[in-house]
Amino acid sequence: MDFAFLSVVELGRLLREKKTSATELAAYFLERLERIGPRYNAVVTVTRERALAEAAQADREIRQGKWRGPLHGIPYGVKDLLATKGYPTTWGAQPYREQMIEADATVVEKLGAAGAVLVAKLAMVELAGGKGYTQANASFTGPGKTPWNPDYWSGGSSSGPGAAVAAGLVPFAIGSETSGSILTPAAYCGVTGLRPTYGLVSRHGAMALAWTMDKLGPMGRTIEDCAIVLGVIAGKDPKDPSSVARGFRMTTSRAAKFKIGVPKGADKDIQPEVAANFRQALQVLEDRVEVVEDVELPDLPYGAVAGMIIGAEGVSAFDDLLKDGRQAQLTAPEDRMGGYPALAISAADYLRALRVRRLMQRALDDFLKKFDMLAVPTRTTVASPIDKPFREAWPGFTGGANVIGPTNVVGVPGVSVPNGFGVQGLPTGLSFTTRAFDEGKLVTLGRLYQSRTDWHTRRPPTPSP
Amino acid sequence: MDAMSRRAFAEQLALTVAAPWFIEDLPKAPAPSPQPQQQEPSALAKSLAETVRLRYPDRFTAEDLITITRSIDTRLGQIERLYATALTNADEPDFVYSVYRGAD
Repeated sequence: MDFAFLSVVELGRLLREKKTSATELAAYFLERLERIGPRYNAVVTVTRERALAEAAQADREIRQGKWRGPLHGIPYGVKDLLATKGYPTTWGAQPYREQMIEADATVVEKLGAAGAVLVAKLAMVELAGGKGYTQANASFTGPGKTPWNPDYWSGGSSSGPGAAVAAGLVPFAIGSETSGSILTPAAYCGVTGLRPTYGLVSRHGAMALAWTMDKLGPMGRTIEDCAIVLGVIAGKDPKDPSSVARGFRMTTSRAAKFKIGVPKGADKDIQPEVAANFRQALQVLEDRVEVVEDVELPDLPYGAVAGMIIGAEGVSAFDDLLKDGRQAQLTAPEDRMGGYPALAISAADYLRALRVRRLMQRALDDFLKKFDMLAVPTRTTVASPIDKPFREAWPGFTGGANVIGPTNVVGVPGVSVPNGFGVQGLPTGLSFTTRAFDEGKLVTLGRLYQSRTDWHTRRPPTPSP
Repeated sequence: MDAMSRRAFAEQLALTVAAPWFIEDLPKAPAPSPQPQQQEPSALAKSLAETVRLRYPDRFTAEDLITITRSIDTRLGQIERLYATALTNADEPDFVYSVYRGAD
């Protein structure tokens, strides 16, 4: 049976109906990871032994009638910044290539407790991009390639999760986002990505880039799959003091209409196909949304605050790497110099940024209250070619609205769902953002959109053998 | 096409210093004329870059130091906006310190 592009929901149904087994699914996806993964530089480590052991346990439990829930027996992968027992946790970076952390990250523990089967640790931009990479070749596994056209980037920093889901190597994956690292690869790889509210998912066992901005979240074929995964991984964790005592449950809200704000300039001076797909997507939802055009976010120094926080927290998080000089082993030449300028940030300026962010949180929440969601094209262009600096990839498209940056600074949630294709057969994404802990709204509208479109079911070209 | 405002451009450059990919949906700077980078870095930026060099005296080429100095200079340009946002003494940072007491 062709399992590669089935959703978690569909695979779960097959398992419950005993039309397949967890072991058969694990073996199927392990084979694909090993055979196809290298074409996209998507995989760091295939966790074969662990996967087969977890799958065998799942099969035993399912045979005994002990059903753990919708992820029981479902294979998945994690971005290689999540610690896992028995396998290296490389953070995508040469200096950590042999690093062993003999404990599972909380997210991995939770997925294990739900019966999911870990099949792979997936590629990522080195150190989640925190050193300032400016082109795609910024990982010891090589540039991530989108399965839609391997001459183009998969996006980052969750490059492996994006490409692996898109290529049917895993049904779902866990990525991380400090500022765009789930939504960007979701858009460039034509999959669905959900960035939860900061604190909704424990960061324990995840590489830190910026402690006050890092978020972990699911990437999958559908928003429904992402919601199922979020339901499992969300919640308070004593090992992560920033985690909050809230869970997530998918609801079946049937609000008559959603009020959608479209930020000023969102589809101006961006790639025409991206703009057209965005407008088409809003049209698909026309009867269920009230669109408010040209809304403007509060005028606050989002970039300055983000730059200060990521700079200061990032240089501290990797101070050992800087001190002992191993940073020189990083793949991207520009990453080898990253971090040094941040040594000049004063404590006073960092604290100023944190104080301004508190005002920013309130201002942005007051603004978001006026709408159910904001909608923008996830990225203003399709993916960049892997052999060009980002700045030179798509010159001339200087427009778009800055939403990913501000919403990441304050930690509110967002999703990206596939909404069509642009030049070179590359996918585009539609993004919704909302107030803290309103993921339910994102899921409701995302499900509605995916019930009316089939972009999320499209498959990338089959690679030649 | 609207020209990018100086403020927006400075905002973008600030993020570029932190990590260029974090720019995300900010308007893209026109590649050919990043004027702020062509200006002579400030004396403060040069001094701060020198502190970095002194910390790691054997690590940098002259070109590396120019890159570091420009990055610092760009960030300094952004600090003005941080301080332009009015705060009072009661506006605390957005973290809460918690005291710890272990098991007796």
